[in-house]
Amino acid sequence: MNPASTAKSPSLPRHRMFSCARVGAIAANTLLELVRLKVFYFLLLFALLLVGLALFVMDFKVQEQFQMLKDVSLGAMSIFTWLLSVLATAMLLPKDIEDRTLYTILAKPVPRLEYLLGKLLGVLGLILISTAVMSVLFGALLFARQEIAIADAIRTAGSNLAAGARADIVREIHSQTFTWSLIPAVVAIYLKAALFAALTLLLSTFASSWIFTVVVAVAIYLIGNVEPMVRDYWMSEREVSAGAKIFLALVSLLFPDLQLFNLVDDIVAGNAIPLLLFAKTATLGAIYVLIYFGLAYFMFAKKEL
Amino acid sequence: MTEPAISIRNLTKVFPIPFSRQRVVAVHDLSLSVEPGQVYGLLGPNGSGKSTTMKVVLGLVPPTSGTTEIFGRSSSLVESREEVGFLPENPYFYKYLTGEETLRFFGKLCGLRDPLLRDRTRELLKLVSLEDAANRRLGGYSKGMLQRIGLAQALVQEPRLLVLDEPTAGVDPAGSREIRDLILQFKARGITVLLCSHLLGQVQEICDRIGILHRGRLVCEGRLEDLICVRNQTQLVLENASPAVLERIEAEISASGARLVEKSKPQTTLERFFLEVTK
Repeated sequence: MNPASTAKSPSLPRHRMFSCARVGAIAANTLLELVRLKVFYFLLLFALLLVGLALFVMDFKVQEQFQMLKDVSLGAMSIFTWLLSVLATAMLLPKDIEDRTLYTILAKPVPRLEYLLGKLLGVLGLILISTAVMSVLFGALLFARQEIAIADAIRTAGSNLAAGARADIVREIHSQTFTWSLIPAVVAIYLKAALFAALTLLLSTFASSWIFTVVVAVAIYLIGNVEPMVRDYWMSEREVSAGAKIFLALVSLLFPDLQLFNLVDDIVAGNAIPLLLFAKTATLGAIYVLIYFGLAYFMFAKKEL
Repeated sequence: MTEPAISIRNLTKVFPIPFSRQRVVAVHDLSLSVEPGQVYGLLGPNGSGKSTTMKVVLGLVPPTSGTTEIFGRSSSLVESREEVGFLPENPYFYKYLTGEETLRFFGKLCGLRDPLLRDRTRELLKLVSLEDAANRRLGGYSKGMLQRIGLAQALVQEPRLLVLDEPTAGVDPAGSREIRDLILQFKARGITVLLCSHLLGQVQEICDRIGILHRGRLVCEGRLEDLICVRNQTQLVLENASPAVLERIEAEISASGARLVEKSKPQTTLERFFLEVTK
C-alpha cells in the first residue's frame, strides 16, 4: 500500500455510475445473509406437508389424487413463497439502518440505486431457489404417485395387456399429472412473490418498523385477493365515470389484483393456460415489480439516514 | 495549490420534527478545512453536531444549506467516496460474514477484483493483526476486533481520507492503544484522518488540529499546540540534574524577576502504567 500518494491509486478501476459488479456483490451478500439466517428451514415444512399430503390422498380415486396433489401443493407453494418474500424483505432495510451497516456501505462509492437493486435481486434469488426446490419436491411427489398409479392400473387391467392398451393407460395418467400448464403456474407463483418482495421493499423505505411493514403487506395481500370481486360487483351495479376509472386504476396500483396471478385453479381443473394469458400475467407482474421498485428508489433516494 | 482533503463551507443542517412546526438545528453555519496529511479532531459534547457533520461530508445526509467537498469533489457525488474510508461509531458489520468475507465484500463495492482483492485482503488482515481470526464470523469477534476489522474495511480501497467516528469507544485500554497506534501509522503514511472522539487524552496525542463544536456551532478551531499552550509559561524538563544545579537555576529565575510556578517530577500516564503492569 502506498497511501501517501496524493493521486488516486492506479490499482482502482475508474468509477462507473452504474456497476453490475457492485449490484451483484450486494445481491450475493443479501442472499448469503438470508441463507445463513437459515430461512431455508421452511422448505422442511413444505416437504413435511407433501409427505402428509401423499399419505392423505392414497385413499382417493386416481384422478382426485392428482387434483388434490396439484391443488394443495401449488397452493402451499404460493403461500410459502409469498410469506418468504414478505418476511425476508421486511427486515433487510431496517436491520441495515439499525445496525449502521448501511452507513458503511453507502460511505463507499455505491449509489443508493445499486444498493436497493442489490437487496431486491438478493431476495428474488432466494425466492427463485425456494420455488425451484419446492417445484422439484412437488415434481418428485407427483412422479412417484404417477408411477404407482400406472403400476396399479396395469396390474388391475391384467398381465396379458396389449402394448397399445398399456400405452393408452400410461398416456391417460400422464395427461393428469405432468402437463405444460404446470410451468406457467409455477412462474405465476414466482411473479406474485417477486411483486410482494418489491412492494415490501417499498414499504420498508418509509415504515418505522419491520412489523408495520409485514402487517401492511399482509393487509395488501388480503385486499388484493378480494378487490377484484368487489370491483366487478361495483362496476356491474352502475355506470362507471372517468373519475371512477382513475380511482380504480389507483386502487389497482396500491392493491394489485392477485386473482390475475392465480392460474392454479385452471390447472387443477385440467384447463390449458392460453399463451396470451400467461404473457399478460408475466408482463403485469414485471410491470408491478418495476413500479414498486421505482417508487422504493424514489423514497430511499430522499431518505435521511 | 493542493486541494483540502475536506472543505466545509457555511454548512447548516436542520432536521424538521415530524408532526410539529419545530425544527432542530444540528449544525449552524459551519466552515472548516482539513488539509491533506492532517489528523483533525472534531470534538464536542453529545448532540453538538459532530456525527451530522460527518454524515453530510460522506453524502449520507444532504445539507440544508452550504457545501462540503472531499478533495475538491462535492460530497453529493458518489465518486467523492472513492477517496474516503469510514468507520462509524460502534460498527455492526454483517455478523454472518467472516473477517475475510467482510473485507472482500467491501473491496468488491470499491471495484476491486481478484487477484488484487485477495492480496489486499491478506495485507489488511495482517495490518490490523486479525490474520488468525480471518475465517471466524464477526458474531464471535470482540469489540476491539470489530473496531480493527472496521478500520481494515475503511482502508480497503487505499483511501486518502479516513473518517473515524469514536474509533475506540468501548474498547479496553490495550485495544484502544492498538487503534491509536494504527491511526499514527496512517498519519505517517500521509493519510488524512478526521477523528471524532470523546477521549480527549487520545485526541491530544494524535491530532494536529482540532475543532470544537457546541450546539451545532464551531466555537474554537486551530492547531492543537497553539490552543492548549499556556502562553506566558515555559516548561523545562531536566534529566539527572543535581540539587546544586537546580538551586542555581532557581536563584537565576528569582534574580530575573520571573516566578517559579511549579517544581515537580514528571508523571507517566495511567494508560502507560496500566499497559506496563498488564503486559
